[in-house]
Formats: sequence, C-alpha cells, structure tokens
Amino acid sequence: METLFERYRNLMVLLVMLMLQIVGLAMQVHRGDSGHMSLDPHDSKGVRLIRLWANAIVSPPERLFHSSGTSASWLWQNYFDLRHVRDENKDLQKNLDRLRLEQAALLEDARQGQRLQALLSFQEKYIYKTQAAQIIGTSGSDQSRLFYIDKGADSKLERDMAVITADGIVGKVREVYPRSAQVLVINDQSSGAGVILETTRIRGILRGNALGQPQIVGLMVDSRIQPGERVLTAGGDEIFPRGLPVGVVEKVVRDPDQDGFIRVIVKPAAHLDRLDEVLVITSVQPRFPPEQTQDMATSEALKGSEVAEEKAQKKASEIMAERLPGLIDPNLPPDQQPRNDTSNPNPVTHPPMPLHPDRFTPGTDMSTGQSVTGDATSKDAPDENAAKKLATPPSKLETKPQSKSETKSGNPPVKAPAKPDKDATPQRNP
Amino acid sequence: MSVLTADSRRDLEIHRYPVLIYGLIPLVALVLQAWLPRLMGKYAWFDLPLVVTVYFALGRRSPIQGTIMGCAVGLFEDALTHHAIGINGIAKTICGFMAASVGIRIDVENKIIRVGLIFLLSLLSSALYIFVNRFLLGLALEPDWFAELYKALGNSAIALVAFPFLDRFQLRD
Repeated sequence: METLFERYRNLMVLLVMLMLQIVGLAMQVHRGDSGHMSLDPHDSKGVRLIRLWANAIVSPPERLFHSSGTSASWLWQNYFDLRHVRDENKDLQKNLDRLRLEQAALLEDARQGQRLQALLSFQEKYIYKTQAAQIIGTSGSDQSRLFYIDKGADSKLERDMAVITADGIVGKVREVYPRSAQVLVINDQSSGAGVILETTRIRGILRGNALGQPQIVGLMVDSRIQPGERVLTAGGDEIFPRGLPVGVVEKVVRDPDQDGFIRVIVKPAAHLDRLDEVLVITSVQPRFPPEQTQDMATSEALKGSEVAEEKAQKKASEIMAERLPGLIDPNLPPDQQPRNDTSNPNPVTHPPMPLHPDRFTPGTDMSTGQSVTGDATSKDAPDENAAKKLATPPSKLETKPQSKSETKSGNPPVKAPAKPDKDATPQRNP
Repeated sequence: MSVLTADSRRDLEIHRYPVLIYGLIPLVALVLQAWLPRLMGKYAWFDLPLVVTVYFALGRRSPIQGTIMGCAVGLFEDALTHHAIGINGIAKTICGFMAASVGIRIDVENKIIRVGLIFLLSLLSSALYIFVNRFLLGLALEPDWFAELYKALGNSAIALVAFPFLDRFQLRD
C-alpha cells in the first residue's frame, strides 16, 4: 500500500524546496523605517559566503574569456567568414584566416590601446586616486544591473567606492572579493546617487528604471527642466565626488505613481552597455601633479620660515621689554619712579619746554595759559603731570572732582576733557 | 499525440547522460549567461540556465530531479546578482518541476512542442520572478514585459539549436 509520502513525494519535495527558499528569503529582507520592505545593503555572513563561492566558480572562466583578447562579436563574425571562405578556396582560406586573425587581433589591440591611453591620460589629470580595472562579467540578469571587475580586496578596493570612466560616473562598488568586485551600475533600480542639474541647480536622486535608463525621481513639476541640460553629481551621497558628469536630460515624463511629480530620464554620459575599462576612486584625498606638489611644499616651507621668524621677533621683543625699565611704576612713590633712576645708561630724553606755552601746552592751566607748576627748578614736572594724566583712567578724569590737597601737593588740577554730548549743540571755537 | 500512461512513458523515454554532463552543462550555461551580456549589452535576451533546466527536466522526466536542478541553478544565478538569494531559485524550482511533470504526459520529442514549452516556461519564470519580488518580498521592482517577451522568444530560438546539440550527450543503450 502506498504511503502518503510515496504518493505525493514529487509535490512534497517541491513544497519543501520552496519553503526552504522562502524562509531564506525572509531572513534577507527587513522592513525599513518608512514601512517599506528592503534588502539589506550589505549581505549577511552566510549570504556573502554563497556569493563568494559563486563568484569563485564563475570568475576564472570569465577571466579566461577576457584574457583571450578577442571579443564575441569578432569571434562570431569571423566564424561565419571562415566557413564561407573555406568553401571557396582552402588555400586562400588559410592565408585569409591568418591575416584576418592578425588584423582583428591588431585592431582589437589598437582599440584597447587607445581606450587605455585615454583612460590613463584622464587618470593622470584626475585629482583623486584611482585604480583602473577591467570588466570581466555581469550578473546575467537584466533585473540586476551589475558587473564584475578584475580588481578586489587585493587591490585595496572597498565597498561604496565610486566607479567612473573618463566620460562620467558608472556606479559604485557593492561587494568586494579577494580578486574581484561587484559594481552596481547607476541604471539599476536599486541604485541611488545624488545629482544636480547644472543650470537650474535642482537636486534629485538618480536611479534606474525597468528599461535600464537612469532617471531622476522625486522632482516636482518644473518647466525649467529641459532636454539637453547637463546632470552632475551633487556630492552629498558620500560616494561620488561633486561635479562629475552623469549625463544629459533626455526627456521629462510624469511620475505615474505620484501626482505632481516628474521623472527626468537621463542619457548617461558613460556608455553603460559597452564598458570595458573603468576607474575606481580609491581615495578622495586630492592628488596633485608633481609640479603642483613641489610648489605647495615650497609654499609650506616659506610659510613655516615666516612664522618662525615672526616668533623669534616676538620673543626678542619680549626679552627686551623685560630688560628695559618702565617709565612709571604705579606701586612706587614719585621720587622712586624708574625714570628718576640715573643709573640707566640710556636716560629718557624729554622734549624741550616751549618758549611760549599756551593753554594747550601740557602742564598749563587751561584758563590762564600759564604753567601751574610753581617750582621752576623742577623741569620734569610738566612731563610728570602729563604722565599722570595719561595714566589716569578717563572715567576718573571725567567724574572725580579735583581736591584741594592734590593742588597743594604740587599736582596741578587737570581739567577733564569735555564729554561729548549727543544733545548738545556743537560749540564754535572762539 | 499518442496516449500513454505516465509510468509506461517514463520507462520508455528517460534520457540518461554521463554524470559529468549534469554538472558541466549547467555550469557552462551559467558562465555564458554571466559573460555574454557584457558583450551583447541590452540585447542579451536569453536565459541559458533556464533552457538547460528545462532540457534536463524534460529529458529525465523526473519532477524531483527537475526541482532540484532548477533550485540549484536558480540559487546560483541569484548568487551572482545583488538581489536576495532565492528569487530565481523559487522561479526555476517551479519551472523545473512543471517541465518534468509535463514531460511525463506529452511527447516532448516534437520540436514545436519543445519550443512552445520553453516559451511558456520562460514567461512563467519571469512572472514568478516578478511575483516573488513584488508580492512575496514587497520590493519595488518595475517589470519590463517586452524584455521578458523577447527573452522568451530568445530562449525558444536557442532551444531549437541547443536541444539537438545536447541530445548528442545522451547515453545510448
């Protein structure tokens, strides 16, 4: 008698296989903050291991195909040519075959040389550090627009590094294996890059659509956006440096999912369907040509010497200031002031007394225009008064009334300068 | 179409291959599927792993073997993409099972039936892929049905050439 399992074993095996895969899928997706389901941007350890194995199996044959130096179109075309020529003449076929092979190989080499030369010249001019890489394979699915390059962790590639060509941006490194890396192209539906329209300065997010066209999504209807406008990287996504060419606006269509929004279809600057070599930006630290580097080093050296000289001057002036005596020490009585010290080998010189002092002369009474110092022998008195006047804070000069004791002690009363009054009318000098 | 019971048909027409072929042919299909789009760009309208899966499922006429082969090939394809592993696996598991189940009941030696079957299974595979993405996982993936149609046509054309070629690897008694 057949058991239930024997009777439905085909179906049960199918169900088991499907259930296992569904459980596996459920472990790889999660609900995002916005409530939408999304895949983890970085694979878990187990998933990464599976991808690593698959890549390790597929990459060597792909490298083999790539290193043969012949393209499939060349192989395809020549295959039929050879068959055709062989029918016509066998002897001629051999020569023709050899010549065509050589020609095709040379042509392919020449083309590759030109491409590499252009890439190298771009790389030399480019300000960031880059690593050249060649494309060896794809995902094989048009739902997953990515490709594999022949450089990996051994070449110090890391995740989220920008991938570009001389024409424009291509994508970003999604996964890195020891000797290869997975690059997610900008026209994939799950990719994203911050871009800006060159003229209108409208910012948006670039991602691919079902047809494999890059498009800017989430833009409000704006009549200023016209076909032909250049699109550049905005630099806010921390992957692509700012200002790299992305493409040009091809057309503007309404967003079918959101009213009032548009999608800007972009014609990519890089030929995403026919890529052979790319550059991976490994460091965004500026890399200058040797001449500029030398100039900057010289400039830095000069700047350093100037700073050192300035410091030396400042230090010398401080030492001099410490050695030189001050004119007035507020902590000492007037007769012991440093300026009275005759031991100073360089005595302070004073300006000669005016022959006809007026009321503006320091040390004279403003009202009478005569010297307030009765002691004619004291030549330094006017200077002392002037020094005191200078040493006294202005607030004291304005508010503190002159006491009689000060006048008696020989200190002349100093008239406080008139405080400017906003409301007062300007007085004319008689 | 001759009417036979499933058991008698299976006993009569099970194709057998060297063990190496079961591993080598799918692997070659996977490598070519990963390499050829680099050269053909957006015109790579084919799914060689699906063609191989359907071929072996039809030839072996064993739903279990078709299921396992479809599952293995699909998971391998998923591992080369950046999508979740299992989307292609589910699609090709069902396609392998259905191809083998159909192969038990109808005469699949007829070229027209083979081509028609691979065309329908290609569309089914694409539909399952979209279904799993959009409804099972809830991911926003827009399908391009014209591309899927072209892919089904491409698979049919390839099957016309590839099936007779692969038949040469059969073990004859």
